[in-house]
Amino acid sequence: MVSIARKNLFQDLPRFIVAQAGIMFSVGLVTIQIGILNGFTRSSTVLIENADADIWVTSEELRHLALTLPLEYEQLAEAKEVEGVDRAEPLIAQSTVWRDKSNQIAPIRIIGFDPEDTLFRPRTLLEGTLKDIQQPYKIFVDQADLKLLDVSAVGDRAEIGSYEGEIKGITTGTRSIVASPYIFTSLPNATAYLNSPIAKPDETPPDPPDLTDQNRITYILVKAKSGENLSALKDRLEEALPGTKAFTQAELTELTQTYWQQSTGVGYILGLGAVVGIVVGTVVVGQILYSSVTDHLREFGTMKAMGSSDWYIYRVILEQALWMAVLGYLPGMGLCLGLGAWTIQAQAIQILISPVTAAGVFVVTVAMCSGAAIFAIQKVTRLDPALVFKS
Amino acid sequence: MQLAFRQRPQPMTLMTSNPDTAGDLATPAIQAKGIEMAFQVGDQQFKVLKGIDLEIKTGDVELLMGPSGSGKTTLLSILGGILTPTSGQVSLLGQSITGLPRHKLSKFRLQNIGFIFQGFNLFPALTAAENIEATLNLKGIRGRAAKKQSIKLLRQVGLADKTRSLPRDLSGGQKQRVAIARALAGNPKLILADEPTAALDSQRGHTIMELLRKLAKEEGCTVLMVTHDPRIMDIADRVVYVEDGLITPKPANPSFVHKPE
Ligand SMILES: Nc1ncnc2c1ncn2[C@@H]1O[C@H](COP(=O)(O)OP(=O)(O)OP(=O)(O)O)[C@@H](O)[C@H]1O
Ligand SMILES: [Mg+2]
Repeated sequence: MVSIARKNLFQDLPRFIVAQAGIMFSVGLVTIQIGILNGFTRSSTVLIENADADIWVTSEELRHLALTLPLEYEQLAEAKEVEGVDRAEPLIAQSTVWRDKSNQIAPIRIIGFDPEDTLFRPRTLLEGTLKDIQQPYKIFVDQADLKLLDVSAVGDRAEIGSYEGEIKGITTGTRSIVASPYIFTSLPNATAYLNSPIAKPDETPPDPPDLTDQNRITYILVKAKSGENLSALKDRLEEALPGTKAFTQAELTELTQTYWQQSTGVGYILGLGAVVGIVVGTVVVGQILYSSVTDHLREFGTMKAMGSSDWYIYRVILEQALWMAVLGYLPGMGLCLGLGAWTIQAQAIQILISPVTAAGVFVVTVAMCSGAAIFAIQKVTRLDPALVFKS
Repeated sequence: MQLAFRQRPQPMTLMTSNPDTAGDLATPAIQAKGIEMAFQVGDQQFKVLKGIDLEIKTGDVELLMGPSGSGKTTLLSILGGILTPTSGQVSLLGQSITGLPRHKLSKFRLQNIGFIFQGFNLFPALTAAENIEATLNLKGIRGRAAKKQSIKLLRQVGLADKTRSLPRDLSGGQKQRVAIARALAGNPKLILADEPTAALDSQRGHTIMELLRKLAKEEGCTVLMVTHDPRIMDIADRVVYVEDGLITPKPANPSFVHKPE
């Protein structure tokens, strides 16, 4: 088959390039808006991704991952007794204040865990080893938060609550757009920081003691015995631990993400941006196709006069639209992936372009281009083939 | 080679709609009765064709002449099934096309009629060969077969060395040859042409129309051609004149027949 569509499209190269730039822009806008939304959404639960639990148990008052009430440490022992529980481990996640060397304060979130446990740990440690935080008042900071916290490397110090902390390791990939910087440390350290007195003590504080039954923890992470029915296990845990609620890891993720999307309106705003992108793309493609068809009206008239069916002509226009879609999508998506790689590097802002997003944007691009073809198709439909005999 | 071309089997899709009568010399290729055509201009109707009766014999090459504005193009469009007359009947190749729905008319044109237009109307983005190939594609002949046929047709009109040229790189005469090859593509039984030599100097116009006549005769194809050009009158089996919306056997006022420059 001779592709009239392709030939017509490439015949006017400058116009084609302008069109492709327009489609690229639109693909970029849509992808980046969705990518930021995805990145934002995912970042709200990035902490959960560092865990390998089946079930998270916390206060029944929980609103989302970062807004819940504490449990007592002794409940951990009770959780371990529940039938079907393979492991139960504590996790502290509480907000406090960071004071940097120039005496400025910043909100942080202390994440306390036992480095010898298995269900939670920062996925990637760029520097330091897990054991390091077992020493008193040693912490890990995320690479992406260094600047914000006015520290630069392992060995730097700052005040947490009113106790000093020393950075012993650097994590990466834990930065959350919606939460304060995460500071990782052991359970005793975390407890000490969170309970530190308001005024800075004159002498060095004592080494933090191990947790007692009345100490506060935030979550109990549970690993079920293999083959266990999680929903039944959740029920048993809630029954054994009054005042708590149990979530599967997926449920907590979903609940938290929905909360952030809805409470902040970010989904709406970024969605609006994506819609604007689609509208812009449709207008650009529509205009280019329309003027291309106008330019080639005589040829379409000739085809009609020769006896080509309307469908054949629609196919030519749709093929043209499809070429534009594909050739606008590929560089557009390439650009977004490049930009995404750069922003995570330079800004630690994640533009998350999943395969599903990429495929979805492709479908949208194709729909957009075919939709834009409707104007051009209408013009050809109304075209009177008798025109070809008029000079 | 010529022989092979003449005897090539017709693809099924190109069978004329009425195979019993299509090739029958006794049945006129074109038969029009009482064609009237009125155009609405503002709130006024004005009649361009006032009852045309016309028969074109199968296998003939005939010319349609007449003063400017006499309705030749209008008549040709009606005979080709592109324009619907206000009243009257048209039969092509023994089949009445009056009242056929639009899509059936399109299909009929596609299968039975080759058109040659005054401005060539080639696809500017396609090469000479592709122009013909695209037309064959339209008619349902695809791929290699279409490629081979397009090159063969170009060879027949003497453009074997121009298959890859774009229309803008061809002279007017060469473009018209491509247009003729395109009109012949798919073996239509009928060729309709509106002032096919208008863009050519008359010497070249004559040569090319002679070629068209030769190919049409080889293929048993009927040709009806609107023209102002008296220099090509000698290629015609018959000349029909339109004047005042009616067919006249001889022009009352032959001044519209331009003298060659
Ligand atoms: N669509 C139309 N609407 C209104 N009037 C029309 C239309 N088409 C043709 N006419 C008129 O009908 C008359 C015949 O036109 P037509 O084009 O058939 O003439 P022609 O014989 O081909 O002339 P020429 O030799 O100049 O090409 C003209 O007066 C023209 O203005
Ligand atoms: Mg005319």
